[in-house]
Amino acid sequence: MRRRIAKLAALCFWAGLITVHAQEFKLFDRTVQIHGFASQGFVYTNQNNWLTMHSSQGSGALTDFGVNVSMQVTDKLRIGAQGYDRNLGNLGEWHPSTDWAFADYRFKPWVGIRAGKVKTVLGLYNDTQDLDFLHTFALLPQSVYPTDLRDTTIAHLGGDVYGKVALHRHLGNVSYTAYAGRRSDSIYSGYPYLLSQFGVHFTSLGGLQYGADLRWNAPLQGLLIGASRMNEDITGKGSGVLFFNPGAGVAPYYESSKADWTNQFYGQYTRGKWRADAEYRRYLRDQIIWNGTSEDIVDVRGWYVSGAYRLMKRLEAGAYYSHYSITSVFGGALAKIAPNQTDTSLPANHIYDKVITGRVDLNRFWNVKVEGHFMDGYADSAYPDGFYPQVNPPGFKPNTNALVLKTSVNF
Amino acid sequence: MEPREQENAMKKQRILPLVAAVLMFGSAHAFAGDVKIVANSSVRADSITVSEIRSIFLEEKRSLSDGSHVEPVLARSGAAHEAFLRQYLGKSDDALQTYYRTLVFTGTGLMPKVLDSDAAIVNYVAKTKGAIGYVSTDFPSDGTKVLAISQAGVHPGRRLITRVEPEYPETLLQLQIGGTVRLMVVIAPQGNVESVQPLGGNPILSESAIKAVKQWVYAPGPSRTTSEVSIPFDPKR
Repeated sequence: MRRRIAKLAALCFWAGLITVHAQEFKLFDRTVQIHGFASQGFVYTNQNNWLTMHSSQGSGALTDFGVNVSMQVTDKLRIGAQGYDRNLGNLGEWHPSTDWAFADYRFKPWVGIRAGKVKTVLGLYNDTQDLDFLHTFALLPQSVYPTDLRDTTIAHLGGDVYGKVALHRHLGNVSYTAYAGRRSDSIYSGYPYLLSQFGVHFTSLGGLQYGADLRWNAPLQGLLIGASRMNEDITGKGSGVLFFNPGAGVAPYYESSKADWTNQFYGQYTRGKWRADAEYRRYLRDQIIWNGTSEDIVDVRGWYVSGAYRLMKRLEAGAYYSHYSITSVFGGALAKIAPNQTDTSLPANHIYDKVITGRVDLNRFWNVKVEGHFMDGYADSAYPDGFYPQVNPPGFKPNTNALVLKTSVNF
Repeated sequence: MEPREQENAMKKQRILPLVAAVLMFGSAHAFAGDVKIVANSSVRADSITVSEIRSIFLEEKRSLSDGSHVEPVLARSGAAHEAFLRQYLGKSDDALQTYYRTLVFTGTGLMPKVLDSDAAIVNYVAKTKGAIGYVSTDFPSDGTKVLAISQAGVHPGRRLITRVEPEYPETLLQLQIGGTVRLMVVIAPQGNVESVQPLGGNPILSESAIKAVKQWVYAPGPSRTTSEVSIPFDPKR
């Protein structure tokens, strides 16, 4: 019933979006703006089911939408909030969330603060990964921006210090963001879904998230170079049938971080109708799992290079190569039954994805994308990246081709 | 032919090569001649720096250094819009739209007002407190304040105290020729203008602008400073 209502709401929202425009009105003589967006995708894969969808039969379970309201209270103070909802195969399941909600006080262009639930700045696109209409590609490179793991990086409840500093007139400028807060994952996100195959069901997952991003707008117009660092301390709690004591039945389950950090380096160059991006992310996750009995050290390395060219005012073409590899080393009780996975040449430990995309802008607010993915590997490991055993019960095949159709609107 | 008509014809013959030269020179130095910055009369400043324009239109600040509240107004398209993006923001229209939408949907800024024509922008800026926009240099901007562009080097404490407006050369006014003149101004510690060098723009307009700027007086400062100043000439004003 809940899903039906949510689907109906999404449909109405979609229909409304096509005709509606951004709303702006005055409140206490201050401008208030209302904006929104929605996207709907369809995915067909020739082999494995992907992103928790039954994509080998063709799946339209790729929907999201959001609405925000913002107000400039004074010249320096702005407040706003955005609600967000999505359904991606077995993830999200139409459970709405507060995407961001914060107050922003900018003392000077070189220093400001934000407090509340704030989108986390990490690399080129972490904070905009849901905003399909901003990107050439229907799916961002999954080696660096895995959409099934969106919740692990998307936002924090806390505060940011940010600003932009002009360097000597010939050296461009530097933007910085430093943040600290608490990350809180939906229990309908990728990692809880992965563990549900073992009978583990989370009731909470999250913890401390802090880090910084530094980006340099170089004097060469269109060139951006940056680096991000994020540290986390994550605890998950729930219940499950413990593998080392199955006779006890369903028992409390918990896990916590021993180390959890991400380094990301990136560059972007735009010139005329061309844009090129490149990013590298390393994610190390050393987690004490199964109630302290085991250790799981996951080392993820992902990178991509992409290019896009606007052929005509309303037509853009793009391509990228996305390279993902993962190793898993186990300790404690789990090490006795699970072998380490360190050979990244195996399809179980990598995904190499070649992608081509065409984007048509029907108008300023509505676009349609057609995208082909040619994937080598499925990286079915201790940490997910798109391929899950639950929707692939017969096992995985080494290669997967995918066709993604997606349309999005915004106002 | 009457003597008076003969005189006019000769005058035209003398003027035509001059006009051709002026136009050629002007087009070769079309740096800022395409667009002028207009503001509501509530904006106290008479001039604005390029970096301030950039900060305002990229939603990084909502007030000028003198405390005046400002809010940007953009054109949806057109020659002035293209010139403004090229000269001041260094972004294509697509990149700018993406930038604004990133702000709006990550909560880090608001979408600025966008209007369809120079006339709509002038009308809106004239009526709206703090509004600041841009229109083609030759478009009438009645009811708004045209801000001079000060590109670098003016010490924040060296406020312009006395501003003398340049005289519009009669011939160019009759021929409806306008444009923007760029000057490098050296200001003495006492605040008087020591020297003025033309950097770009129509030479006849430059001559008039130099004559006026030499009479400007700035607030005293700790040392000699330089400032790059742009002065728009609008034949329809």
